[in-house]
Amino acid sequence: MDNARESPAGKGGETGESDETTAPPGVPGPADTDGIPEETDGDGDADSKEAAAEEGELKSQDVSDLTSVEREDSSLLTPAAKKLKLDTKEKKEKKQKVDEDEIQKMQILVSSFSEEQLNRYEMYRRSAFPKAAIKRLIQSITGTSVSQNVVIAMSGISKVFVGEVVEEALDVCEKWGEMPPLQPKHMREAVRRLKSKGQIPNSKHKKIIFF
Amino acid sequence: MADEEEDPTFEEENEEIGGGAEGGQGKRKRLFSKELRCMMCGFGDDQNPYTESVDILEDLVIEFITEMTHKAMSIGRQGRVQVEDIVFLIRKDPRKFARVKDLLTMNEELKRARKAFDEANYGS
Repeated sequence: MDNARESPAGKGGETGESDETTAPPGVPGPADTDGIPEETDGDGDADSKEAAAEEGELKSQDVSDLTSVEREDSSLLTPAAKKLKLDTKEKKEKKQKVDEDEIQKMQILVSSFSEEQLNRYEMYRRSAFPKAAIKRLIQSITGTSVSQNVVIAMSGISKVFVGEVVEEALDVCEKWGEMPPLQPKHMREAVRRLKSKGQIPNSKHKKIIFF
Repeated sequence: MADEEEDPTFEEENEEIGGGAEGGQGKRKRLFSKELRCMMCGFGDDQNPYTESVDILEDLVIEFITEMTHKAMSIGRQGRVQVEDIVFLIRKDPRKFARVKDLLTMNEELKRARKAFDEANYGS
């Protein structure tokens, strides 16, 4: 969240930023409003790399802005406050390096995929629940309207939930010595296991604590 | 095979009951069949998953969303579902929590980029 706040300050500052502002047109234009929300959870590979590279560039420039401004003020701070500022700055730099490393590693990995793996990876990234149906479902439960962020969050969580169930079901399938496609018995066993781990919310059963 | 003569009547009764009780899980139209198939394939299943498995998953997802919505309505501001409530409910699950944070951050950045792009267009 901090990085998102820093970018406007960065944009106002330097002329070098003009490169940054031309990059966003790579994102589909405003007419394509349905496409954009899906990008948030189902980026195509190229777009995600672009956005991620953008993020990396923005962040590194903003950090240099921060450090230049803060060095002037640091003489006015107490030693304890100075130390805190340096710590958080170092952590941010470390985090960015880790992010950049991770992005590079992902790029190397994806470039070495076979065709079938690429296919599967594309389905993984691009599949998403339709926002309209999710919104209709939530509104039919609450009776009031919900904001767009709620729909985005709920679709994202549901996709992760599907992933957890399918992965567990594949584990079960492999353990029983059978092959995909997954059968209902695998799914049910997966749900039973996840329930005992507490991953599946269930508010229908009242727990009796003392007996 | 006297069973065959008895079974059709039983089936008819079951169908009538199933048809009469609206809102039962079997009666509702399938909302996510296409998307769930792609998702299952993406997560490691076969290219053509079984329809019954897709049905089971859809019921699970709808139950999950229903549970989350009910819980979110009962905390924070009552009767409303807000993002903060969802984030609070998810806090114990690291995967989902990280995913929600990423999605919301990305959404903010995209909105900002779109706004800057629009302003640039409008200015010129």
